[in-house]
Amino acid sequence: MSPLARRDEKVFVIDQSRCIGCKACVQACAECGTHRGHSMIHLEFADRGASTQTVPMVCMHCADPTCAEVCPADAIKQNEDGIVQSALKPRCIACASCVLACPFGVPKLMVEMNQMMKCDMCYDRTSLDLAPMCASVCPSQALWFGTREEFADARPGVLIDEFLFGRQSVRTKVLTVAREDGPLDVASGRTARAWQDDPFGLEESAWPGNAR
Amino acid sequence: MRNGLLAVGVALALGWLGSGGLRWFDAALAGYLLGTLFAIFGTVYRYSVWLRRPPTARLSRRGWEALRRGGWPAVKQLLGLGVSNLAAQTFIRERSSSRWVAHQLVFWGCVIAAAITFPLTFGWLHFESVGDDATRYRAFVGPLATIAFDARGAFGWLVFHGLDVAAILVLGGVFLFLGRRVRDPGAIAVERSTDFLALAGLFAVSVTGLMLTVSTLWMGGRFYTFLTTTHALTVILGLMYLPFGKLFHVFQRPANLGVQLYRAAGDAGPQQQCSECAAPFASVLQMGDLKDVLPQVGFDYALPAGGSWQDVCPACRRRVITQAQAGRVGGFR
Repeated sequence: MSPLARRDEKVFVIDQSRCIGCKACVQACAECGTHRGHSMIHLEFADRGASTQTVPMVCMHCADPTCAEVCPADAIKQNEDGIVQSALKPRCIACASCVLACPFGVPKLMVEMNQMMKCDMCYDRTSLDLAPMCASVCPSQALWFGTREEFADARPGVLIDEFLFGRQSVRTKVLTVAREDGPLDVASGRTARAWQDDPFGLEESAWPGNAR
Repeated sequence: MRNGLLAVGVALALGWLGSGGLRWFDAALAGYLLGTLFAIFGTVYRYSVWLRRPPTARLSRRGWEALRRGGWPAVKQLLGLGVSNLAAQTFIRERSSSRWVAHQLVFWGCVIAAAITFPLTFGWLHFESVGDDATRYRAFVGPLATIAFDARGAFGWLVFHGLDVAAILVLGGVFLFLGRRVRDPGAIAVERSTDFLALAGLFAVSVTGLMLTVSTLWMGGRFYTFLTTTHALTVILGLMYLPFGKLFHVFQRPANLGVQLYRAAGDAGPQQQCSECAAPFASVLQMGDLKDVLPQVGFDYALPAGGSWQDVCPACRRRVITQAQAGRVGGFR
C-alpha cells in the first residue's frame, strides 16, 4: 500500500499566508522526477502595489477532481491513494478543458507538447514517504509535509480540506490552514486582506469582508 | 454494441467483395481474420461508448462543426496537422528526442505491418506466378493485376520481408521505451500495468514474426509449425488487446486535430473576460461549452451573486483563494 493511502499518512499542507515569495519551490519543482525540467507550481504576487501577499498554488488533489470529469479524452486518472496524476500522454488531446475547469487554477497546458501537465505531489517521492520537492525547500513552511500530530505539535491553526466555490463544495487531499475549523469559502477572498498587511487588525474596519 | 456489429458486418462485406467471393481468401489466415474482426468490434464499441461521455460528445460535435464551417482553409489546416501531429508527431520531440525516435519507430513499424497484414487477411491482396516462371510474381489488389517483379530481386526481397522490416523497427522502439521505463525514476513512479503490457505485446509479436524468417533461412524450417502457431497466437491476442489497452490511443489521438480546429474557431470569435481582472483568457465558445458540461458531470460552480466560478481566470482563481485563506489565519490578533 502506498504510504499516501495509510491511516497514519503524512499530509501535504499549503498555507499561502506564510509564503514569502522566495521561489525556492519553483526551482525545486522542476527537479521532480515525474516532470523533470518543468516547474508545475504557480507563484505570483496577489497585488504587487498594495500587498506583500504572494500566491503559491499546488494541485490540491480533489477527492472528486473536476479536471478529470470534464476531460473529453478520459486522460486524467486518480490513483487509489487519491493523487490526481498529470494527463496520460498518449491520451491527452490538449483541449485545455481541465485548465479552464479546475477551481484552483492549477493545470498547465504545454502547447508545444500538446499535453496538460500539473503538480502530481512529486509522486516519485511522496509514494515513498518523502516530502515533495517544494515542501523540502520551503523556508517559511508555507509548503509542509508531515503527520497531523507533527503539525499540531509545531504549528498554530487547524487543517482544512474543504473549499466552497459558490454552491460547489470541494474536498481535497492537500490541506490548508485556518484559525478555526470549517470550510474555506473562497468568495471571501474577493474582499479579504492578507494578515501581513494589517497584522494587528488596526485597519480591520476598512475591510468588511474580513470582519470577525 | 450495434455500431460494433455494424462495423464487423461492413468489414466482412468488404472482405467478401475484395477477395472475389473468398476466391483469394487465404484459409491459413482465418485465425487472424477472427482476431481482426474482434478488434474492429471492440474498437468501434469502445469508441462509441467514449463518444457518449458529455465532454467528449460536445468536443466531437464542435470539432466537426469547425471543419464544416471552416471550409477549404480548415481542410488545409487539417491536412497539415495530420502530417505534423499524426505522421511526424513533432509534439513528442518536444518531450524528448529519444522518446520521439522510439515512438516513430514503433508507429511506422506498426503502419507497415498493418498495411501488409490486413489486406492479406481480408484477401484484398494476393500474389500469383507470372505464367510458368516461378521466379516472377505479380501482385493483385482484388481482381486488379498490378506490378510484376522478380522474387529474388531487391523489390521482391522488400515485399516478402516487409514484415521483418516492420518487426525490426518496432523492436528498436520497444527497447528505447523499455530503457526509459526501467531507468527513469519518474516514469517508474507513475508506471501503469498497461504500459508494460503494450510493450510486451509488441515485443512478442515482433520476435515470433522474425523467428519465422530465421527458421526458414537459417534453421532449415525447424520449429516452423510451432512458430506459426505462437506468432498467430500473439498477433490474435494483440488484436484482442487493441481496443481495451494502452494502444487504444491510436484511435483517440486523432481527436487532437479536431481540437485544434475547435480552438482556432474559438480564437477567431469573442473572448471570455475574467470577472475579476477583465483580461481575456479563453474563447466564449469553449467557456460556454464547459459551463454546459459541468452540470452534466455533477458540478455546480454557480456563484450566489450570479455568474460562475469559471468566469474567473485561472490566475485570479489562485489569487482569490489565497486571499481567502490569508484572511482565515490569525496574524497577531
